Amino acid sequence: MKKILAVVVLTLLCVQSLFAIEEHDISTFMQNNIDNATTILRDKKIQKNEKSEKLYAIFDSIFDYTLMAQLALGGKQWAALPPAKQSEFTKLFEQKLKKSYMEKLDLYTDEKIVIKNLEKIKDARIHLTTHLMKNSEVYEIIYKFYKDKNGSWMIYDVDILGVSIIQTYRTQFAEILAKEPFEKLLEKLKQPDEPTPKQ
Amino acid sequence: MLRIILACLLSLSLLSSAEYMGANSYGSDDFEAEFNAKNDAKLFDPLSGYNEIMTSFNDTFYEYLLRPTAQGYAYIVPKMARNGIANFFDNLFYPIRLVNNLLQLKFYNSWEETERFVLNSTMGILGFHDIAGEELGIKAHDEDFGQTLGYYGVGSGFHVVLPLLGPSNVRDIVGLAGDMWLNPINYLEARDANLLDSTEESIATTAFYTINKTSLHVKEYDNFKKDAIELYPFLRNFYESRRNKLISE
Repeated sequence: MKKILAVVVLTLLCVQSLFAIEEHDISTFMQNNIDNATTILRDKKIQKNEKSEKLYAIFDSIFDYTLMAQLALGGKQWAALPPAKQSEFTKLFEQKLKKSYMEKLDLYTDEKIVIKNLEKIKDARIHLTTHLMKNSEVYEIIYKFYKDKNGSWMIYDVDILGVSIIQTYRTQFAEILAKEPFEKLLEKLKQPDEPTPKQ
Repeated sequence: MLRIILACLLSLSLLSSAEYMGANSYGSDDFEAEFNAKNDAKLFDPLSGYNEIMTSFNDTFYEYLLRPTAQGYAYIVPKMARNGIANFFDNLFYPIRLVNNLLQLKFYNSWEETERFVLNSTMGILGFHDIAGEELGIKAHDEDFGQTLGYYGVGSGFHVVLPLLGPSNVRDIVGLAGDMWLNPINYLEARDANLLDSTEESIATTAFYTINKTSLHVKEYDNFKKDAIELYPFLRNFYESRRNKLISE
């Protein structure tokens, strides 16, 4: 009995520490992720679909898609939705983010990404600044982490050249919802990439 | 037995402490403030109706005229030559960068800009080859008058989409007017020295510059535009955030 309990407690503790990314680990953890991602990207033998799947496996553990969806929609709008709609929206939003990322893969050649700086903004916020180097240009990308309920650090937004991805969606969603019902927004998220036919 | 109880207590306290930390950090109000502070809640956009129309006009212009032209041009002119031409123009815009770096008291950057201009104009053969950047790692420091105004605390004012030029705002339009005086490929009668002889030449040169530059970025721009769900707010947000970032640098 004693042993069983001890094992249970131990596994519980281990599980906790397995999934929680600690503050001091963020830099190394992200450097590993970036290195893994770059290796996958550079591998010419892997098909594009397979590539993205492997990359998503990395992302899914560090991106909080639900929070991202919530922030992109805005607190008021989010609170007004029934849970079913919330999760439908979250799913569509996650797909949109991934699709947009997938398309960026086509532009990838041999850029290098290096971690520049880790800054603790507040108790529960960390900004990790990275530089993407292409030819002789340098592009700044900031990953924004927050400490979630489990004490694990998760990404809730990414700044590219000073432009927040969440803010970009937030302004668009606000604009759409000012004129149209929520259903319409879902529709637009479903097939956003078809070039609008010009009459 | 005591041990078990202790272990249980320990794990419980761990759990609750985790929850406590969670409650502290996961305040959605906190997040709301972070994003509302930027611009969407109290966004002042008095020209939104006009801006939206102008955005779709510019987009149509790009899709049906500028992009096909740039692509046709890219088909004829090899990429190396187009890069060279882009470098040549960037080198010509040195006065804009120099003056605005100086106005913002960025003396080291002004010095680097000057080094670049001298090296690239001579060894780089009239600026076609960016020797300073590629061989010596001396990078350009893009500054314009809009950024200078921002640097001294002038607010952006409301958003204005300009015909052909695209997204801008009140501050940056004033900036554009200022930079016009320093732009060598403009023709201004009131200016003592003009590189070009007439307004027609100036328009033709600017068109050539634009087509050449566009031809180098068609893929990126198309890819970027695909992310938009609603083009006008998408571009507006991108432009304003980007400008704020450039001013803060």
